[in-house]
Amino acid sequence: MRYGGDNRGRLLIIVLLVTSLFLITLDLRGVQVIDGLRTGTQTALTPVQKLGSWVVSPFRNFISDVTHLGRTQNQMEKLRAENDRLRLALQNRETADAQLKQLKSVLNLAGTAGYKVVNAKVISQGSSTSFSQTITIDAGTTSGVHTNMTVLSGYGLVGVVKYAYANSALVQLASDPAFKIGARIAGTQQIGILSGQGTRKGVLQLLDNTTQVRKGDVLLARGSQNGRPFVPGVPIGEVTSVDNSPGAVTQTADVKFYSNFSTLGIVAVVVSGSSADPRDALVPPKPQPTPLPTVTIYATPGAVEPSPTPTR
Amino acid sequence: MSLRRFFFSFPIFFTVFLLQEAFVTQMRLPAGGINLLLVVALIWAALSTPEIGALTGFGAGLMMDVSQTSPGPMGHWTLVLIVACYVIAFLGYGDDNIRGNPINIVFLTTIGVVAAQTVFLILGIMLGQEIGSVKQVLLVLAGSAFWTAIISPLILKVVSYFHAIIFGERSHI
Repeated sequence: MRYGGDNRGRLLIIVLLVTSLFLITLDLRGVQVIDGLRTGTQTALTPVQKLGSWVVSPFRNFISDVTHLGRTQNQMEKLRAENDRLRLALQNRETADAQLKQLKSVLNLAGTAGYKVVNAKVISQGSSTSFSQTITIDAGTTSGVHTNMTVLSGYGLVGVVKYAYANSALVQLASDPAFKIGARIAGTQQIGILSGQGTRKGVLQLLDNTTQVRKGDVLLARGSQNGRPFVPGVPIGEVTSVDNSPGAVTQTADVKFYSNFSTLGIVAVVVSGSSADPRDALVPPKPQPTPLPTVTIYATPGAVEPSPTPTR
Repeated sequence: MSLRRFFFSFPIFFTVFLLQEAFVTQMRLPAGGINLLLVVALIWAALSTPEIGALTGFGAGLMMDVSQTSPGPMGHWTLVLIVACYVIAFLGYGDDNIRGNPINIVFLTTIGVVAAQTVFLILGIMLGQEIGSVKQVLLVLAGSAFWTAIISPLILKVVSYFHAIIFGERSHI
């Protein structure tokens, strides 16, 4: 005889279904009690699971051995662990090599100018979704890093320390739209104000409209009083294009920063500038063109081209 | 009266839950393995009245939901198991051809496991969960059917024994 059900039974089913739907709704709305229930269960189950793992491991290994057709689990685990260790070591080595290269170049730059620097590792890149460009470094006030200190990479200016904490500091990058620095053109000594644009390019506004700026000109930091926030002579970037619009009040130029802000690994914070202005000593050398070998082919008119002879 | 008796089954399901969480999940059986609690709940429901079946689904579903390995929201498995256990109990209740034959119960349970997992999956998609590739889903469903068909004949006797202790000899196979 088929079951037809009664009112009490139907009511029970409805109550159970509504309860489950209520639970789903509560969980999807993020009610803490539900989360706590799961966390509590897991906490209570952890010792039992540990015991289970200990008891089950021989059977698990047996099943695994059968599944892997004779290859013992121990061997595989050992090889897998060794493989992971080697891969990690290789990655660490590559990272260390890259950081060493950056450290060498930044020390070269600081050494040439006579800056006293504190080296630091970039530990996080600020989010650009808030329309600001910052990095966090792992050196702070305990290492002598304070606000308004110049930050360098091996290529030149990176930015300025905005906030210094005990063991870290927030650096405003030169590409930040709010960043401004007094700059001078190497050689001609024309001065202007360089502003960040949110990208690797900045805009230079010359203060004197009568002088000329050319593509390829190198920009250096003009320096501030007592070397803060900017020490003088730090290379900033190179002029990539000049806007010579007639009638413009001031001359402007696009500048490409030397530092690549997205690949910063090691930077140096200038804790004290040199006693003398390094002037143009830090201007990076122009790249030397590599001579390309040319091949000249002489063709003699009337010469018969050799034709292949079929062999029998 | 049978509702009161139903609560006596809680220690059994709790033990199965502990076995599932502490041992079965650690076995790492191929093709997704087996959910012992799901199988026991469906066998239990197949031996019970539809009301007890639905209650069994509710209790077992709640236990599966509180498990950390459950990807869905709380109540997800509960909803699926209430329906699955009720349907299985409804199909078996009053039909001695089904209830009296272990092969039919194993078949019903296997189909029930696959159906419950499919409904769980569909509900999961509706609730915005990631389900992975179709190939993986099919593999897990096939694996569940395989393991259920293997395990349920082995535990059927035990489950039916405990069911008979609580609800009377009528359900004993």
